[in-house]
Amino acid sequence: MNQKRFILTMIGLCIALVFLAVLSLFSGSVPISVSELKEIMFGQVKEGMNVNILFQIRLPRLIGAMVTGSALALSGYLLQTFFHNPIAGPFVLGISSGAKLTVAFAMVFLLSKGWKIGSAGMVLAAFAGAMAVMLFVLLLSLKVRSMSILVVCGIMVGYICAAVTDLIVTFADDSNIVNLHNWSLGSLSGIGIPEVELMSVIVLGCFLFVLFLSKPIGALRLGEAYAASVGVNVRLLRVFLILASSLLAACVTAFVGPVSFVGIAVPHLVKGAIGTTSPWRMIPVCFLGGAAVTMLCDLIARTFFAPTEVSISSVTAVLLVPVVLWILLKKKKEGGGPYA
Amino acid sequence: MHESQGIRTEALTIGYDSDLIKEITFAVRGGEIVSVIGPNGCGKSTLLKTLAGHLKERGGFVYLDGKKRTSFDKKEIAKRLSMVMTERINPELMTCRDVVATGRYPYTGHLGILSESDQKVIEEALNSVDAQEIADRLFSNISDGQRQRIMLARAVAQEPDILILDEPTSYLDLKYRIELLTEIRKLTKEKGIAVLLSIHELEAAMRISDTVVAMNREGVQRIGSVEEVFTESFIRKLYGIEGMDVSILGSVPWKVGYIKKPCVNTTGKAKVIMVQGTMSNVGKSLLAAALCRIFTEDGYRTAPFKSQNMALNSYVTKDGLEMGRAQVMQAECCRREPAVEMNPILLKPVSDHRSQVIVNGRPVSNMNVKEYYAYKKDCIPVIIEAFGRLSETSEIIVVEGAGSPAELNLKDGDIVNMGLAALLSAPVILVGDIDRGGIFAQLIGTVDLLEVDERERIAGLVVNKFRGDEAFFAKGIEILESKTKKPVLGTIPYLSLLFEEEDSLSDRLGSHEKKPFQIAVVRLPHMANYTDFATFDQLEDVGVSYTDRAEDLMDSDLILLPGTKNTIEDLRWLKKTGLYNVILSEAKKEKLIIGICGGYQILGKWIRDPAHTECGGEEEGLGLLDMETVFGTEKIRTVFEGVVEDAEESLAALRGCRVKGYEIHMGNTRIAEGMRSFTSGGTGCCKGTVYGTYVHGFFDCKEIAAGVLRSAAAKSRKQIDTIGLTDYVEYKDKQYAKLAATVRAHLDMKKIYEMMGLPYDKNGTV
Repeated sequence: MNQKRFILTMIGLCIALVFLAVLSLFSGSVPISVSELKEIMFGQVKEGMNVNILFQIRLPRLIGAMVTGSALALSGYLLQTFFHNPIAGPFVLGISSGAKLTVAFAMVFLLSKGWKIGSAGMVLAAFAGAMAVMLFVLLLSLKVRSMSILVVCGIMVGYICAAVTDLIVTFADDSNIVNLHNWSLGSLSGIGIPEVELMSVIVLGCFLFVLFLSKPIGALRLGEAYAASVGVNVRLLRVFLILASSLLAACVTAFVGPVSFVGIAVPHLVKGAIGTTSPWRMIPVCFLGGAAVTMLCDLIARTFFAPTEVSISSVTAVLLVPVVLWILLKKKKEGGGPYA
Repeated sequence: MHESQGIRTEALTIGYDSDLIKEITFAVRGGEIVSVIGPNGCGKSTLLKTLAGHLKERGGFVYLDGKKRTSFDKKEIAKRLSMVMTERINPELMTCRDVVATGRYPYTGHLGILSESDQKVIEEALNSVDAQEIADRLFSNISDGQRQRIMLARAVAQEPDILILDEPTSYLDLKYRIELLTEIRKLTKEKGIAVLLSIHELEAAMRISDTVVAMNREGVQRIGSVEEVFTESFIRKLYGIEGMDVSILGSVPWKVGYIKKPCVNTTGKAKVIMVQGTMSNVGKSLLAAALCRIFTEDGYRTAPFKSQNMALNSYVTKDGLEMGRAQVMQAECCRREPAVEMNPILLKPVSDHRSQVIVNGRPVSNMNVKEYYAYKKDCIPVIIEAFGRLSETSEIIVVEGAGSPAELNLKDGDIVNMGLAALLSAPVILVGDIDRGGIFAQLIGTVDLLEVDERERIAGLVVNKFRGDEAFFAKGIEILESKTKKPVLGTIPYLSLLFEEEDSLSDRLGSHEKKPFQIAVVRLPHMANYTDFATFDQLEDVGVSYTDRAEDLMDSDLILLPGTKNTIEDLRWLKKTGLYNVILSEAKKEKLIIGICGGYQILGKWIRDPAHTECGGEEEGLGLLDMETVFGTEKIRTVFEGVVEDAEESLAALRGCRVKGYEIHMGNTRIAEGMRSFTSGGTGCCKGTVYGTYVHGFFDCKEIAAGVLRSAAAKSRKQIDTIGLTDYVEYKDKQYAKLAATVRAHLDMKKIYEMMGLPYDKNGTV
């Protein structure tokens, strides 16, 4: 039965992805007809404004949204597994905020000194921030056993990082501010091919790496003690999970800025759809599901109030917070749980 | 499945951040269930987690399958050892089968794909706990009892040799508990798994365990069989519920009376013979001693044994342990070092109603009769263990009973007479005392009052303390034999041998015969260890009277103050009876006065008992010696070897004499400066003609006894011949030989050897 549900879900997600992709390519301030799209896509038309719009703007953005969603959903899934906490996610635990802080720092101070940091530099800066916050949260998790307190701590850390980021923005040169402001709200606008390429490579790499960890992650579902008792090297697995989830979150933050709630909500949505928590199924489904959800949100963000574009985080919040609330209520009803 | 060697530890130290419990050594073999019991928080889980490798051992080793655990990697360990923990897991969207499948982790490849054989093992594991029908339900949707079964199946799916379960039955209702324990037992026996589990339900632990490890915060208290561990007093001590009313639990099986009596298997080990008496003081100890010497003379390695002794008089072994003196004497007859195994339980009366209970040589507590009666059933393992140790080094064990076997009101839970005989499968010789009269009532009555099976244990009768011509008693023997259907093994003459006697009723106390040289031993009400003066019995001209009469003290040539179990009370008694003043006035007349132990304390200025070791309070002593004694809570028990360091002119001959003996006392004595020392090491002092020492057995050396006698005689202007005096040890040995010869001549030794199943003439010596 699970097998069937999994396959159906996968097929459904693929269809949704294709549908959303096509829709995204059509949507925008410049209307492009079906026949035109077909011609451009199949290489019959090689020059013109619409070609540029499609290949320089809409396609990178589309792929960016997909990769962002995949990365966030996967990161959320790993964190939830790691912390045994259904509302863990890169944003909630402050990891995204940490990455944002270091990226802002890098942008303002290094640019003001005349150094240009490339895409890789951004990722590195974000990764450093993400890891810093992650390690801090881990230290806390050694002290506090209660998961709800841990989450609150994560949120607090997020606020501190946000405050410091604001401070940096306040003292930044005017020329940087616009840039920074857009970025810090979270936006896929202006993402280019090179960034998308780098993101894709990192996220795909992480995806394969995590897929390879399916066996120990599956054993971890019974708790660390049982995992250890069947021979899992729990310490090493923890390190892998932290690295992978931080890298995924950092990668997104570096290019898109902090995008909230995808990390929490998507794993739960897909889990409900496939009816199992087997990592072999969860990891690919999260990957596709995150892509689909984020693509939808980005589509809404740029089309709903067109020509004005809203930040993607606003859309994800509005759409996904109810999902998170629903998770919390459902868990509460079941009673207990590790985060009680 | 290969033959599992199970798991074992060697001097294991466990703990999280510090050493919690050290030196744990035990083993769980395949097909065996070992349970760990103990109060909450005592380290049971820590122990199990350390064995499973979740915690590092802080010292010592854990062996799996005979190899050090550290020589295996994680997966190899997981293939050998699985665990059910107390942590309640909460896996999301996992079916029971999924949960069980995680047990296959160490067997699957990198991708964790289950092969067909893995699937088969999973189904078998589910079947083994009867969980097929819930296999496809979500783990979060089943009951606690079902979850525990699934966790057991998960552990089984790991195909372990060793299964560790941390409190598997907690939270479970009766039905689930029964089911789970039944399944665990079934798995253990069918699959030959070594099972180690911690458990709070002692009833269950008693039923399923092959071995029990009992621990509390102080460490592992006992490792042994169910019978060895589940004794009421031990369980009470383990859980700190001594004296607590446990009736709210109903009839718990570890309470006294539940466990069926264990039995010592003596076949192939030492032969046993038991001497019981029709009442106290019929001469059991002497007869047992004589048998000990006879068997020893005949070339058998012999040992005495008495499960429980009641005596004021105790002896301190080399190891500083206390035991009854009767068994010491018997051990001397066997020519072997007295050991506490020969008398594992000793009761020393401290007042009319209470006794100090000494188990394996160490005081356990003071109890009244009722308390002891409840306690003594717990002593069975102690007795069995002591006997077991003794039988390893002996060919024949001569067991002595106590009192009468027909104390009908006390027979329940008897561990000294017929109960012990049954436990040891010993043939019994019943001894009667003809001197005190009523020999027919004694012997026939006792036999008649016994139960049928007890009666069968009696292999023969002995008439003891016979005076006069045996021929006149031939008719009596006929009557005894026809009435009891038991053979009379002999009539033993009244032995005028002088011996250490254990019981306070000893005849010695009654003697008032006047001799040319009189020693007066003040007969304190709580007098103890009065064998100190037995050496003087060697001399014809010396009379030793144990007396509480002022005239005797005044007429004597030497006054001795003996040791006592209750110094302050006896001091008050001295004052009340006026003997206090008599002693003072005798001292003024420069009569030689020597106090031993408690008697020494009484000679001092003050005796204080702030800690209520005896009866509390303080009392002014005789003040003849410038010193005072304070009772502490710690008992000093040591063997003494030293010299007489110094002495006043009155005993100048003793200076430099070697002294061998022992100390046993609670008090600490502070000797004032300027006092002359006496025995070395601050164990005594003297002033004028008054001497005191803590050393028991002080007079046993012939030089000292002779010196004291000569000095005392000189004071009274008497002549005394001390040439016949030997060291007390030598003297005793001669007496033992004499005793053995007499008994051998009057007892049917052939029958006695037959009773034990030994050839009569092993070396042709008899």
